[in-house]
Amino acid sequence: MTKKKPSIGVVLKRLFKWLLPLAALMGVGILLYCWHLSSQIDQRFSGRRWRIPSKVFSDTTLLYPGQQINRPLFNEKLRRLGYRQLVLNPRNKGELYSSASVVKLFLHDLSMPSRYREGVPVRIRFKGNRIESIAHLNTGEPMPILELEPEEVMLFFGPDREQRRLVSIDQVPQHVIDAVLAIEDSRFYQHKGLDPRGILRAMYTNLRHGSIRQGGSTITQQLAKNYFLTPKRTVVRKLKELFLSLTMETMYEKNEILEIYLNEIYLGQKASVAISGIGEASFFYFGKSVMDLSLNEAATIAGIIRGPNYYSPHIHKERCRKRRNMVLNAMHQKGWISDEELKTVLPLPIKTVGYGAYGKIAPYFIDYLSDQLKELYSPQDLSSLGLSIYTTLDTQVQMAAEKALKRGLERLEKSNPSLVRKEPGKRLQGALVVMQPKTGYILAMVGGRDYSLSQFNRITQARRQPGSAFKPFVYLSGLDTLTPASILSNEPVTYEVDGKEWRPQNYAAMTAKRVSVRQALAESINLATVDLAMKVGLDKVVSTAKQFEFSTSLKPYPSIALGSAEVIPLELSRAYCVFAADGVLPYPLSLKEVLDENGEILERRHVSIRQVVTPEKAFIMSSLLRSVVETGTAGSLRAMGISFPVGGKTGTTNDYRDAWFVGYTPDILALIWVGFDNNDSIFASGAGAALPIWGNLMNALPQYVSGDWFKMPPGVVQGIVCSESGQLALKNRCPHPVEEYFLDGHVPSDTCQIHDSESQIGRIIDELKGFINTF
Amino acid sequence: MNSKVLSIRSKSFLVFCVLGLGWVFAGCAPAVLTPLPADQPGEPRQTEKTETPAEKPSPRALAALQLTDQGRMFLERGQPDDAIGILEQALNLNPTSGMNYYYLSEAWLMKGNNAQAAEFNRLAEIYFKDDNEWLDRLMQQRERIKKQKPL
Repeated sequence: MTKKKPSIGVVLKRLFKWLLPLAALMGVGILLYCWHLSSQIDQRFSGRRWRIPSKVFSDTTLLYPGQQINRPLFNEKLRRLGYRQLVLNPRNKGELYSSASVVKLFLHDLSMPSRYREGVPVRIRFKGNRIESIAHLNTGEPMPILELEPEEVMLFFGPDREQRRLVSIDQVPQHVIDAVLAIEDSRFYQHKGLDPRGILRAMYTNLRHGSIRQGGSTITQQLAKNYFLTPKRTVVRKLKELFLSLTMETMYEKNEILEIYLNEIYLGQKASVAISGIGEASFFYFGKSVMDLSLNEAATIAGIIRGPNYYSPHIHKERCRKRRNMVLNAMHQKGWISDEELKTVLPLPIKTVGYGAYGKIAPYFIDYLSDQLKELYSPQDLSSLGLSIYTTLDTQVQMAAEKALKRGLERLEKSNPSLVRKEPGKRLQGALVVMQPKTGYILAMVGGRDYSLSQFNRITQARRQPGSAFKPFVYLSGLDTLTPASILSNEPVTYEVDGKEWRPQNYAAMTAKRVSVRQALAESINLATVDLAMKVGLDKVVSTAKQFEFSTSLKPYPSIALGSAEVIPLELSRAYCVFAADGVLPYPLSLKEVLDENGEILERRHVSIRQVVTPEKAFIMSSLLRSVVETGTAGSLRAMGISFPVGGKTGTTNDYRDAWFVGYTPDILALIWVGFDNNDSIFASGAGAALPIWGNLMNALPQYVSGDWFKMPPGVVQGIVCSESGQLALKNRCPHPVEEYFLDGHVPSDTCQIHDSESQIGRIIDELKGFINTF
Repeated sequence: MNSKVLSIRSKSFLVFCVLGLGWVFAGCAPAVLTPLPADQPGEPRQTEKTETPAEKPSPRALAALQLTDQGRMFLERGQPDDAIGILEQALNLNPTSGMNYYYLSEAWLMKGNNAQAAEFNRLAEIYFKDDNEWLDRLMQQRERIKKQKPL
């Protein structure tokens, strides 16, 4: 009995019977899976698509005719701003021609919270280090002021350390899109996520050349792979990629997919930071916006998509050029560029802009800023929201400050080898802060010698004795009862403090037993200062100092007059601003504005001022502190070429543990501290260790030197007094009359008793009587 | 011995008298008050660049004026925050311009912060002490600050 074979029809019928439900089941499964994927895609794309680090910017730079500038610092600034040096006149934004007497600059656009300026070509003529004129390069129209864009100084990266600038598809020029499509997916607008023709063509091309010359993945597939999948090559992953692509194609328009792709693609590496998206790559490689990319540059970027580091235009120039030409030929083959365009661009070199590593500018300043930002935003927000954070930092001042401090400390170590420490963590330290006294803007901050070795910020975190740098606050407390001409005792006195004897001493031996207030502060005379403090009352000294909002403890011990109470350097610097700002205490400002990624202002900080001293007293204090520089302990500044009016005070603590100088003009104030973290002696005074750093710093910043001094406010008068008695000078009798400033109503009413002839004769008679009585 | 001592003492006395009288008259000797050169060390200086009346504005002052003008325009458009930002720049560029203080006061007044407005108004006065026209404006501003209820 033979079993009858089922007919084909039956088999097919059976198969169909089983397969149809199976296929239907699979179809439903795929649909469900695609639905599941669509929710994943939607979740990823409808919310925030990318983590964009927040950027920290410096302040803008103002240039004007007549301004003195430091050319090397200025040139360096232009380089950091991404201006490319040419040998011809600049024609495009970001290009620069520079010679000894002229800088021609095609400015980048300036986009600030309250204003926008289109980039224009300008010509800056120099006479030595002075800007002679600024004019529009094409029209010759003079420009009274020019504002350079802020400099990007830091990025708040998340754990992925990606950097990107978002662009919308409408901003991307057609030739950039064509370049990308020509080399990556020329049938992008024809296929539905998968391109069988593309795969076959890639296979044929690769077989023909015996190597992988073309990939078959569409842009949608690449996007699916980058966004949702691991790089592992498995069949399952490939299937998933396929379903993702198909799903994405049904969910989104072609241009939406292309926009996501252009913002997503990895396009290079800047140190440990990934350059992602065409917007960031345009700036990274060519220092310009994607909108300004030339055909040459567009083809270069499109070419490196396949292997950004392998084809890097920074490193592998020839390899990159060949790849660019491949893109250009592909564009030409598709008819997207003409024969002429191809011929013109093929021989062109690829000119890229240089770049520096992220996060190395002003690290202590950035730390100080970050502490304030942390009160407003979480670290996650800072590393993903793409905020723009504008600050008060002036990178030219910062560079000059870092250099001045470094050189100053090296000079000290060279002059005294005992200061050299082998252990890096124990090295001689220094710190510096530069402010604009009227507004409290922090222009620069150097919290230590080497940030990589020590992140301890000696400007904002250290508590050090200020020594004589504290004396101005003592003298200020005496201005209600004393005048700059008042006479103080310079004789040794023993004080009892907490049951112990305290005998203050002068820094150097002095014969004069009486000195004026002006001389005592100028020469930083300890005995006279303590005399003043005791006359005024220690409680008064402390209450005066507390007005300056020192956060450290100030107690009414006699030694406070000599600066024994610890202060935080930034607070000391801020306190000195009062003298330079008509008696107003400014808030130290580092953060100016925070903008979201759409340019909306989220946070704005303005100058906040509070009067703590009358303008009259502030003016008199500045006058006294100017004597410190002109005739006192800071006199050596003159030898350093500081010829403009400066007020300031040196400070040295016991055993030379700390050396200070705080100096200012109406335009700028800088505080310098030098010492060891472990309080070892530096064997040098404030004048010897800190002052030269201040001098070098100011010499490097001619743009902040106006030569102006403070205007005498109403309520201050001048009078001529005898320098010996402090009383009104007698015409033709007092040998050293001086013109002195007084608070209105505080001019001495008595005439000089020392040189008064009647009193002199009386005194001689008394002396004679005494002399005779000895017989 | 004693007479020798006495004679030495007498001579000393004579010398002392001569020197003493000389010293007395020396004190009266100068016919003219000692001049006070501006750069003489140890003495307060009086002559300052900024105090010279009708001085031609420096390039820096002219540049700062551009910013001041921008700040003023922001104020006219009712944008006090933008005005403050630019006026702070102007103030940093030229700290001796009373106009910056005046317009800063105006901006804070617009924002309803009378305390800051009063501070800047007060500071402006220092720089307009010789300018009656601006002093009048300052006084008017002061009145407006007093009248405005803080926001």
